Amino acid sequence: MFHKVLNIRDLSPSTYVLRLERKKLAFKPGQCFNLGLKGLGINREYSVYSGSNDPYLEFLIKEVRKGSVSSALRKVKPGEEVAVHGPYGAFIINIEKLKNTLFTFISTGTGIAPFHSFVKTYPKLDYRIINGIRTGEERYDYNDYDHKRLTTCITRDDCWNGFKGRVTDYIQNNYFDPTHIYFLCGNQRMIREGYDLLRLKGVSGDNIFTEAFF
Amino acid sequence: MKIAISYPPIINQDGQKAMVSQNRNVQFFKKPTYLLPVIHAQAATWLRDLGYDIYWDDGNSQLKNLEKWYQDLLKEKPDIVVFESTTPVMKFYWRMIDKLKSDLPRCIVIMTGYHSMRKPKETLSNSQTDIVLKSNHIDFALQKLIPFIDAHSDWRNSCRIEGLMIRRDDNDFLDTGNFKQVEPLDLSPDIDRNLVQWNNYAYENGNFMQTPGTYATSVIRDCMFGKCTFCRYNGPELTFSMRSVQKSLDEYQRLIEDYGAKEIFDDSGVWYRGAEAREFAKGIVERGLHKRDCYFGFNTRFGYFDEETMALLSKANFRFVLIGLEAADEETLTRLNKGYGPDDVENNLRLFTKYGLFPHLTIMVGYYWQSREQLKNTIMTVENLMFKGFARTLQVTLCTPLDFTPYHEECIESGVLLTEDYNDFDMSKVIVKTPIPHGEYYAAIRRMYGIAFHPKFIFQQLRFLVRFKKKDWQFLFVYGIRAIRRVRQHIFNLTKYQKHRTNITPSKI
Repeated sequence: MFHKVLNIRDLSPSTYVLRLERKKLAFKPGQCFNLGLKGLGINREYSVYSGSNDPYLEFLIKEVRKGSVSSALRKVKPGEEVAVHGPYGAFIINIEKLKNTLFTFISTGTGIAPFHSFVKTYPKLDYRIINGIRTGEERYDYNDYDHKRLTTCITRDDCWNGFKGRVTDYIQNNYFDPTHIYFLCGNQRMIREGYDLLRLKGVSGDNIFTEAFF
Repeated sequence: MKIAISYPPIINQDGQKAMVSQNRNVQFFKKPTYLLPVIHAQAATWLRDLGYDIYWDDGNSQLKNLEKWYQDLLKEKPDIVVFESTTPVMKFYWRMIDKLKSDLPRCIVIMTGYHSMRKPKETLSNSQTDIVLKSNHIDFALQKLIPFIDAHSDWRNSCRIEGLMIRRDDNDFLDTGNFKQVEPLDLSPDIDRNLVQWNNYAYENGNFMQTPGTYATSVIRDCMFGKCTFCRYNGPELTFSMRSVQKSLDEYQRLIEDYGAKEIFDDSGVWYRGAEAREFAKGIVERGLHKRDCYFGFNTRFGYFDEETMALLSKANFRFVLIGLEAADEETLTRLNKGYGPDDVENNLRLFTKYGLFPHLTIMVGYYWQSREQLKNTIMTVENLMFKGFARTLQVTLCTPLDFTPYHEECIESGVLLTEDYNDFDMSKVIVKTPIPHGEYYAAIRRMYGIAFHPKFIFQQLRFLVRFKKKDWQFLFVYGIRAIRRVRQHIFNLTKYQKHRTNITPSKI
């Protein structure tokens, strides 16, 4: 299926938000789509960034150096079409648990995308986000989150007044409630180490859900 | 402690052997293909490295009959036996485990595999199995579990290693919760080829054009896409882990230099793509392994490679590319969550062929919604691709719901399953209600396998010869002879129920 590009919003030299027409496509927040260029025959999976009630589809995309799809998508002009397949995946919130559950979302880089979709879709969600990035410039769409619920861990910014270090350092040095439901999204190393740390803090493996980016 | 990692030879009424084949599915074959169970082989190596005595016990590849295999196992008196489950052999396993437990009551039986992983209680209730691994990381789970059992006599009550279901009593099972989904694959060792008697798997494999061939330690577990509904590498509890390129390259070098491998295949659900694929191909070339008369191959998906990467793979002497073309119509691809469209297929295959790679199509028929028109579309597309030379070989299977994959669950929920007898899930017959008679799917299989003998296909293979590439000549003479031998078998396996229409009746439910 082909969807028209509505606009491309640059967030940093390497990262942008691709907005596409929705065409009544239904999805659950946390799912992903395969995006590709028309006729290119190559596609990549991206977690949806927009909420399921938004009239458009958005994707938070990091341009991979020498990447075939992420670079090409950035060059598409509004009005041109891209190939969209999906939605896919089960990295989703069980809506029966929405009311009485506290959710902790842990991410690195653009791994925050599915959590952005959660927050936009479920306004009453009781959540907390721990997001790991390199510099303050990577706090994309910061105002879309309740600032009190968002903890940013920065590794390469000396001027940063918040937590300096990796997400996993933050997990190691802070209390994490074993009764919360945890969603981890980002690079494999963070997920592997984050999982182990949460288990050591008494969180059951049944309450940890992961989505590895690659 | 002595640990047996065991694959009993299971033979059906037609004298065919159960082979754990692509995607860890069981199919019965007269002329067998012996596939190395890679993750179990890593587990065996890891446990041996930890000081345990390993009995590598693949009765199929060791050419034993069931009785000989069983008597040998009893003689070994293992402390622990590890099996791998999948739907069509579950009933066999349950009976066999009960017999084993009566003959070796102190032996601990551990069941692994995608069927029992999703229904652990079922196996504990239907047999005397002691532990079911709910983890697909069998090597990681066993390297924690076995030392724990070794060190704790009260392990049934005290074990808290995640991803297990443990029998405490007849009806009392301890569930240790969800398993860890991402493991650092570099920690799991390269397979010790001598320990698993690699030569037993080096020749009887239809995918090898040169022998000895072997399977590499998989670089991805299980699939980086992991969304296709019919595939067992899909589920909310699964994600994927990746091995480092350099570690894999080191293994390829050893396989070529120390073992003389002539063909190396990576059976990961989907192999590297993008930067990792390019780094791997460049690494092969930099190490000079592309000039050692060894072909390389892998599984992939449509839409994963750009032209630059394909060119690099070609330069590195990659040959065999196994790729799923489950259907040719948009509706089926969408319902299967394939993540690509029909238009992507020819584009990708044209490029693979341009760079001298040999695409092998894996096609399925018999989806519960598949109409005559959709089936015809698949046949016509496959013929077109094969006649144009965009794919070199193919295999066709009946889509069989297995191991409680999303497709299996969907078939149950939709009420289209014609049987609940696990023995019927051996991929030899259509076991779902379909909009057209089952015989049409069998006829489609026969027609697609028949392409190998079609003058247009043969003519295209002859045209390839003028490129004067060794692999094209090998293809014609080595693969051609093998095709004659194996195609007849595949047609028999997949259409033997055609004349009986189907032996499944709704009354069996």
